[in-house]
Amino acid sequence: MAWTKEEELRLRQVIKDSGVNLLKENLVQGTWGNTAARLDEDHMLVTPTGLDYITLTPEDMPVVQISDPSIWSDGKKPTSERKIHAAIMAARPEINATIHSHPVYCSILASARIELPVMSAEMEKLVGGPARVGAYGLPGTKALKKGTVAAMEGRNACFMANHGVFCAGKDMDEAFEIIRIMEKSSYEYIKQMTLKATGQKTYSDELLFDYFVSKFSK
Amino acid sequence: MNKYVEKIIEYAKRLVEEGINDDKACISLKTTHGYMYATKEGVELKNIDENSVEKIDLATAEGEYRLHATIYAAKEDVNAICHVHPKWVAPVAKAGATIPTVLDDMAQIVGPKCKTAQNDIASIIKNLKGCNSCLIKDDGCITTGRSLDEAYTCVLVLDKAAHCFVSSAVIGKNVTINIFEAKLMQFIYKKKYSKANQENLQVSEEE
Repeated sequence: MAWTKEEELRLRQVIKDSGVNLLKENLVQGTWGNTAARLDEDHMLVTPTGLDYITLTPEDMPVVQISDPSIWSDGKKPTSERKIHAAIMAARPEINATIHSHPVYCSILASARIELPVMSAEMEKLVGGPARVGAYGLPGTKALKKGTVAAMEGRNACFMANHGVFCAGKDMDEAFEIIRIMEKSSYEYIKQMTLKATGQKTYSDELLFDYFVSKFSK
Repeated sequence: MNKYVEKIIEYAKRLVEEGINDDKACISLKTTHGYMYATKEGVELKNIDENSVEKIDLATAEGEYRLHATIYAAKEDVNAICHVHPKWVAPVAKAGATIPTVLDDMAQIVGPKCKTAQNDIASIIKNLKGCNSCLIKDDGCITTGRSLDEAYTCVLVLDKAAHCFVSSAVIGKNVTINIFEAKLMQFIYKKKYSKANQENLQVSEEE
């Protein structure tokens, strides 16, 4: 164990707070995502599977081995997506915190499998370029891990096809800045594309409703 | 206050917190003895209290309650139903469209697709086959679950899927998950990941 008990306790609280903050900031919708924080080069704390962020306690977070995520101790059963968090941390020593979630505008681009171009200098700085869409894979599978790792190459965020978004930062604060800019930029891009498709100048949800109903009514 | 009424009030509040404040909603929870507790007609979700929930005999239910009673009779594993009108479900229900599997969590929680039924009981029952939810032409959606937590989560996931479907259709394309993989995810979720039905069983035992 190459970390102190104090650091572990701090990071347990960081993970707990990250879940609550995802909820507070409306960055998780419907179902839970998962987050991870590095303890040392071969260990990380992750959120457990199937528990909601409100009832979760810092002690519930299991310690997972990065080089072999099937090995874990302490806490409750880890998220099945721990292999993706582990693969990113193994490949990128500068990454210490990761977030996987399903915010709504990121989910739209993920479901349409549309790459997000750089929408601002802030996005360029935080994400490192356009956000790619990883190849589709069923949750918890090697295919999903492989697709996500490939789409993250040289980037700090990517979409997971028909699933959600994955973000990585040097710490949890930076990972949060990245997921926020991904959601904000996705919204801006969807707005632009909607105006282009409809030929209108002002975006509103009603515009989207009306256009959809006029085009797709049976 | 009994546990059924308590649960219904709790989840009505949670729906309101998620931006679904509906004055045409009906939330019900089946008991183990041929009854259900359900919200009264015309009460806004934000105003629901113990006086807004009544005990209904499933055998003699009428109107909206008959719809719920018929669903409980047709689907034995269903213990809770939400009939609500979320924002993004509205345009799809109006268009009479079918939401394909646009997201993994839709496949797991809602089902491989969500069709729009006509506003009659037979059509709704038909369109709930193999799925935990259906849309109703110009009348929101029905979601079902082994527990109220499942039916509530189904509302949120369905509304997100509807938002993705509407937006993606307008901006260019919908890429859907293949039906085999969608059904597999639904099966795994039901068998392995959802413990929510346990919660409902606990409510039944406390009656």
